[in-house]
Amino acid sequence: MEGILFPRGIVEKREDLKDYRLRGGYSALAKAVKKTPDEVIKEISEARLRGRGGAGFPTGKKWSFTRECAEQPHYLVMNGGEDEPGSKKDRLLMEILPHLVIEGVILAAYATGASKAYLYINANYGGAIKSITDALAEAKQAACWGENVLGSNFSLDIEITPAPHNYVAGEDTAALEVIEGKKAWPRQKPPFPVTVGLFGKPTAVNNVETLANAPPILLHGAEWYRGFGTADSSGTMIFSLNEDVNRPGIYELPFGTPLRYLIEECGGGIKGDRKIKAIMPAAPSSAFLGPDKIDTPLDHNSMRDAGSALGCGVVRLVAEGSCIVEEVLKISEFFTAESCGQCPACRMETNTLTSLLKKVQQGQGGQPILEQFGKVLAFNKGKGFCNLIAMPGPPIESALKLFPEDFQAHLTTGKCPAAN
Amino acid sequence: MAELQKRVEAKGLADVEVKSYMCFGACQEGPNIVLYPEKSWYASVKVDDLDEITDHLAGGPHVQRLDTIDSSLKELIYQLLDTGVF
Repeated sequence: MEGILFPRGIVEKREDLKDYRLRGGYSALAKAVKKTPDEVIKEISEARLRGRGGAGFPTGKKWSFTRECAEQPHYLVMNGGEDEPGSKKDRLLMEILPHLVIEGVILAAYATGASKAYLYINANYGGAIKSITDALAEAKQAACWGENVLGSNFSLDIEITPAPHNYVAGEDTAALEVIEGKKAWPRQKPPFPVTVGLFGKPTAVNNVETLANAPPILLHGAEWYRGFGTADSSGTMIFSLNEDVNRPGIYELPFGTPLRYLIEECGGGIKGDRKIKAIMPAAPSSAFLGPDKIDTPLDHNSMRDAGSALGCGVVRLVAEGSCIVEEVLKISEFFTAESCGQCPACRMETNTLTSLLKKVQQGQGGQPILEQFGKVLAFNKGKGFCNLIAMPGPPIESALKLFPEDFQAHLTTGKCPAAN
Repeated sequence: MAELQKRVEAKGLADVEVKSYMCFGACQEGPNIVLYPEKSWYASVKVDDLDEITDHLAGGPHVQRLDTIDSSLKELIYQLLDTGVF
């Protein structure tokens, strides 16, 4: 299927500057620096580009909020922390299409009025860091960044900051802390980074994939871009399938493509010729969907209406015969381990949920224990500096609702139904 | 915790067990001591407060000045303890 970022499908060969130029590389930048930053933002807004890091926030709005701040200087941060389990899309983009990513960074910096961009890249991604470093050298040689970009009055400095390898380090304000030389602890919001960000200055923090969408939009126009996807979710999105399917990999699909197409046509169906018991469209923090939702279109509104979310596109499958209690316990343990620990509410919630699930797994507590999950989640709703506190809720609550028999099996027999 | 254990023993409170709890969600107001099943919660406890707390355990008065935790958090933790699984 034709893609926007990968027009000839997902490829493995790194695209150098010469190859990138053959498909119009840096032409969007040449066009953009002849426009005003506001005109660039207008094009991005009209394209209805939404963030690909998980929240789906409108990119044009984020850039506009940053641009409008009188406080100087402005910064641009590319978030390539990518620590969602199973997500490899940002690594792939940085490794294979480094110039597309870098052009996106320069365009975002121009639009937001940033004089310096930080490329925050997962420290474990040695290949991506090398690819981006090499591409930065080529792009600087071609005057695409540095003093007077492509002969314009716009100047931009770019620097790479390795990101620590833990989940919270990918949170936007935690990224700012790391770039400032501190530990990866999220900040309390508001203020949001667009007004008080890096070193206290207005900062746009954008995911790698989000930025990679900017050059094609500015090259071909917002109307062309809106020809892909749906009214609320335009363009394409890169989805990650893992070992649950016969053909694990990365797939770029237009928003609105049925989930079934991704799982069956791209992924070759669930591994082992088993039936699907549950689908998690945005692992590990989205609600589970039953197999009856397999025709749900992959876009923000449709996923929300189905009771789940699109996140950053890591789709996980649970096979018939698996136990959902074991699945959510693994998820809960992940969030307990990844909570940075600075917010007491998050510590209490994640630890308590994991303890409750372990008791269910061991067949202890009876019916009253099941009533505690909702109370713990409700008590902690809206607390904590970052969104991690809200993440265990959807998988646990949907598991309780969709698969009560698995919980009952543990509580009444003390045995896992998957072991039968 | 060791000091509390010592004072409980010194008072001969044979039916009192001193144990840690994984997380009350109130470190900012810690150290915290919850008497259960009595359901009293004492926050920001200092060693100097332990005699009053063990007096309470022995049937003495509630230590009102240490009872500062938000009632909704207390209620949640008491309910979790009531499940009998911690």
